Amino acid sequence: MREFVFFGGKGGVGKTTVSSAYGFKCAAAGLDTLVVSTDPAHSTSDVFDQQFADEPTPVDGIDNLHAMEIDPDDEVERHLMETKRAMGDQVSPAMVNEIDRQLEMAHQTPGAYEAALFDRFVSVMRDNAYDRVVFDTSPTGGTLRLLSLPEFLEGWIDRLLYKRKKSIDLYEKAAIGNNEPRRIMDGDPIVARLEERKELFEFAGRTLRERAAFFLVVNPDELSLKETSRAVENLVDAGLAVEGLAVNKLTPEPDPDENGRGARFLRDRVATETERLRTLREEFDQPVVAEIETRVSEVKGSLLADVADELDIGVSAEPPA
Amino acid sequence: MTLADRIAAFLAVAEEWARGLFHGLFTHPAYEKIEQEAEDVEDTFMLACFPDAFGIPSPVSYYTAELLPYLEDEFEAWERRMWNRGSLLERKGEQYHF
Repeated sequence: MREFVFFGGKGGVGKTTVSSAYGFKCAAAGLDTLVVSTDPAHSTSDVFDQQFADEPTPVDGIDNLHAMEIDPDDEVERHLMETKRAMGDQVSPAMVNEIDRQLEMAHQTPGAYEAALFDRFVSVMRDNAYDRVVFDTSPTGGTLRLLSLPEFLEGWIDRLLYKRKKSIDLYEKAAIGNNEPRRIMDGDPIVARLEERKELFEFAGRTLRERAAFFLVVNPDELSLKETSRAVENLVDAGLAVEGLAVNKLTPEPDPDENGRGARFLRDRVATETERLRTLREEFDQPVVAEIETRVSEVKGSLLADVADELDIGVSAEPPA
Repeated sequence: MTLADRIAAFLAVAEEWARGLFHGLFTHPAYEKIEQEAEDVEDTFMLACFPDAFGIPSPVSYYTAELLPYLEDEFEAWERRMWNRGSLLERKGEQYHF
């Protein structure tokens, strides 16, 4: 299995449960494992009954397992402060207010939150010291957007770089005789910054394509199936490796001699779900890697080990290609 | 002063005039044009970086915001040009000396 494993899917299908269980499974196999929640509505804390923060924290009672919950608000704040500090060093007091307004505005745009989340998870991948990092992502729409960001942003930065370089080039040409050009290409901080960013996006895109594996969590119902098929299509289009589907919340079958109302309901339900499972097997190119039954109580503590057993996802590290 | 000296002095003056004329008629307007073109390109760069200044949300304004501290002069000049600029025709027309 690749170094970074992502679990995605429709809202409420049990991504957190499955990713926590997988994290547990890896840790139990002796791999140093980190579970990262990127969903703004974090629920990893609920599964492990322990509060996690923006930094990796050891999970109580489970060896080799760490968890963290990314908090984009913190990251936005940090980024704002850092930029303001740079401004204090660079900008004359007369311009500070003007630029300050612009800065505040940029940090309140809808994209800021996404960008911060993206930055954070790229830095998790970049500074990775774990054998396996399991990402518990936000529901399908948000995740796909996040994963398609690198390519999109790369294009954007390219355009900015091109414009900047062109204007500097023109300024250099416009400098008459021994006159100093208004801007020079060498050591231009803007070009340097933009190139640094570009490199980061390239790294993210490359890592997602080459070192990450994606699993989708599905419930055996029509809506979930449809959304999954769209998600698979989008991920494959983006060149990302979808390794399998984990079916969660399957209805348990009643004993054959039971015939009450509950038993009849369950039997019907199981019949529909078997049908859905067949659809999943036949219509998707990806294998079904787990069939997890609905539990009576919340999946946490010892139940996690049970669920982990039902996951047919390899844990052994893939030798680097 | 010999004749040769006087001719040399005259030639020097003539050359200065010729150079000045050439500069004023051709070189300078050309450089000015290039510089204005550079400003125009810079303006589109600034606009692409900070469209939210005009109420257009940008997906990368979070990233371009970190350029702001280094763009002080450009930002000020950009704002001034944005205020002063007439129509595009006027701006582009200015770049041609008829």
